[in-house]
Amino acid sequence: MQFITDGKRPTSQRVVFQPRAWQGMQRGVNLIIKAVAPTLGPRPRLVALSPQFGDTEIDVYDNAGEIARRILQIRGRDADVGAMLVRDMLWRLKNQVGDGTATAAVIFGTVYNEGIHYLISGGNARRLQTHLEKGTKIILDTLSQQTRPIKGKEDLAKLAESISYDPELSRYLGEIFDIIGAYGRLEIRKGRSRQIEREYVEGMYWERGLMSRGMIADWDQLRTEFENATLLISDLEIETPQQLYPVLELALRNKIPNLIIVAAKMTDSALGFLLANKQPERFQVVAVTTPEYGKEPQAAALQDMALLTGGRAFIKVAGDTFDHVSLDDFGHARRLWADLRNFGITGGKGNPRAVRLHIQKLRQAYQYIDDPVSKEALLKRIGKLMGGSATLWIGGITEREVERRDDLARRTAAAMRSAIEEDVLPGGGSVFLECRDVLREQRDASTEPDARAAYEILLKAMETPARTIIRNAGFNDSDVMAELRLAGSGFAFDVVNETPVHMATAGIYDPAGVVKAAVFTAIHTAALALTIDVLVHHAEPEQAKPLGPTARMKL
Amino acid sequence: MDERPFANTISQLAASPQLARDGLCFAASVQGLLRSADGGQSWTDAYQSLDLPTALPTPAIALSPTFVRDRTVFAGVLGGLLHSHDAGHTWLVAELPAPPPLVIALGLSPAYEQDGTLFAGTMEDGIFCSRDRGYHWEAWNFGLLDLNVLALAVSPAFAADETVYAAAVSGIFRSSNGGRAWRETPFSLDDAPVLSLALSPQFVEDNTLFAGTEAHGLFKSMDGGQSWVRLAPDLLRASVDAIVLSPHYPTQPHLLVLAHGELLVSRDDGRNWEPWPGSARIDQQITAVLAAGGLDEGNTLLVGMADGSTTIL
Repeated sequence: MQFITDGKRPTSQRVVFQPRAWQGMQRGVNLIIKAVAPTLGPRPRLVALSPQFGDTEIDVYDNAGEIARRILQIRGRDADVGAMLVRDMLWRLKNQVGDGTATAAVIFGTVYNEGIHYLISGGNARRLQTHLEKGTKIILDTLSQQTRPIKGKEDLAKLAESISYDPELSRYLGEIFDIIGAYGRLEIRKGRSRQIEREYVEGMYWERGLMSRGMIADWDQLRTEFENATLLISDLEIETPQQLYPVLELALRNKIPNLIIVAAKMTDSALGFLLANKQPERFQVVAVTTPEYGKEPQAAALQDMALLTGGRAFIKVAGDTFDHVSLDDFGHARRLWADLRNFGITGGKGNPRAVRLHIQKLRQAYQYIDDPVSKEALLKRIGKLMGGSATLWIGGITEREVERRDDLARRTAAAMRSAIEEDVLPGGGSVFLECRDVLREQRDASTEPDARAAYEILLKAMETPARTIIRNAGFNDSDVMAELRLAGSGFAFDVVNETPVHMATAGIYDPAGVVKAAVFTAIHTAALALTIDVLVHHAEPEQAKPLGPTARMKL
Repeated sequence: MDERPFANTISQLAASPQLARDGLCFAASVQGLLRSADGGQSWTDAYQSLDLPTALPTPAIALSPTFVRDRTVFAGVLGGLLHSHDAGHTWLVAELPAPPPLVIALGLSPAYEQDGTLFAGTMEDGIFCSRDRGYHWEAWNFGLLDLNVLALAVSPAFAADETVYAAAVSGIFRSSNGGRAWRETPFSLDDAPVLSLALSPQFVEDNTLFAGTEAHGLFKSMDGGQSWVRLAPDLLRASVDAIVLSPHYPTQPHLLVLAHGELLVSRDDGRNWEPWPGSARIDQQITAVLAAGGLDEGNTLLVGMADGSTTIL
């Protein structure tokens, strides 16, 4: 079908001033926050999203970041600006730390709504922003004083449960993180059964395997294993058998019993040459594909492999060939295995000092990278070098359940890495309640109205997470908050046992990195949003209409 | 000094907790394992029952904490591990994962009688753990970035804190979950390799451990390995192959080190050092030491030498 415009001028840009800009944005902000706030706490309420794009099933979510991501636009362009501001904040936070989105949403809501209230009564947005940011620093410092390290399977499992509210998943994640630590390699995969399962692999492995089925030695296991293995590491493309002559000659001359050639590609004739030279009793040779895709990841994998095994990586772009290969170029490992999909080594004989320095450098780089994709890739790389990996198989009854649990496991794992690396804070919103004393002191010491207003706003915001958790669990927040005041410092409401408890004593923790990122992001974004005075909407897109009968006749 | 059946370096000595009564002690050496039933006065080949065609290098020896009852001895050898349950008369071969490792250090849980846990540190293969008294072994090397393990030290409160330390070519690693996973301690790479480790008997309270290095002397940590201080840098400048703490440390702050073939003792927690009485008269390089009776003045030591001989000081 062909379309033409209706001939009218496109709608011009629209500029919206106060108070309409605030009113519109506030509507959008509150809509998103109301949509995600029920998901906060150990007894969250779910949010259902109607089917889209021809789908028939309703999607049910308990994660604020995921819900916000699915809300693409809301009615009313002024409100849409507010909604998208919150959506963007939550999505960024989810990518950054994996969790804390509902906490950020409710803190944002209080700061923004109370802020608007103050500005309408004549406050100065810029000065309010400055004082809110100063207050954020005070909050973060107070939180830092309350952090504590977390270790041990049981504590890690409790932490996982406070993030995921899934006891079975938490038990496995507690055990896994007790073993792999903050940087260890964890593969989360959709499972093979209804239950969650886990598997540990010693050493490191790469997701590329044997180039030919003819290289399989053990047909029961469909794999080949070598002890005291020798490796030749490269990303070369082997076109002819002649390219391999120097390698095989060197290996045979030096009575090397087995050899694994890592190469980007090998032609059938080269593979045939290798298979023909295989002598199970004296000399075994296999070829595996260079791991990773793309130049940079491949170069990184080769560098790591060379370091781990004490070999040299032959790089195509550097003009390397096997022509002058020497014994020193070979890498060595105590054990090597390869199947058609993966290959791995245990006990690489590289210099352990060099390996440790290399890992230290990668860890430092990890701290400074913001891009989630690069961060993930670097974490995977560090994990490979750590000497072991865990795989968590996520099971479930329906495909939807598996997908939901898979996402939950990934989010929980990300938050747990942050918790191990940056310690934990007592949960249930108790740490925010602990910030109130210092904020009160600041408020009372301030003489400037905007400063007093900022601290007053933050005081209310620090109560919001605890109040929301209580309300979501079906309790009256005012009554419970009164109980908490009587209970004293460090207490919050344990909604599972329906009683105020000392969070640290009960072992209810949240990852400190997540909590700090949530509070920082929420207050900073809200403070910035409060300074938005004017909205400018782009022109409406031109309306297209189907061709009428007259127009069709003209064509 | 007595004549020994083997002339070779003694790498480790171990004795029955009731040495004064039963006189049982063992000397591990490059040529095998020696057994004495008279407190080190005379020695016999402990591997006699194995009828070995060639000598079996034995770098490590350890006795069960309840040896008096269970008569259990473990020997780390080239190619694996042997265990005896009759005080070293007959031996069983423990199956360790292939390829055959060189077991260089052994560490037993102080609660071995209950948990049956022991660790074997190897060159190139990291650490193996058995939780059934040495019958079955598994490699648990998560986070152990250096698989060349030279010494092991198990916390005296292992049953509660599950803490183990491993000294390696590139530094010191700690496990706080019973050896299932290891984390680096901030011991300087420049000061490694670490040859010896010793934990305070009151480790749970004082978090104190000592590390002897190959070329940079003796180090002490009072926070479980988070920070390290070098002791007597002017005196202890080379290798520290063994460290012995008084069983009453830190109340009795006595330390004995085997430093570059000499025995030095400190009675003030490492500030001042002097040669162990009588050690100056030994003209051989001392390679192993056993202080079965503690470090009180007047106590005797059993020492092994580079030429395979032993003597009592």
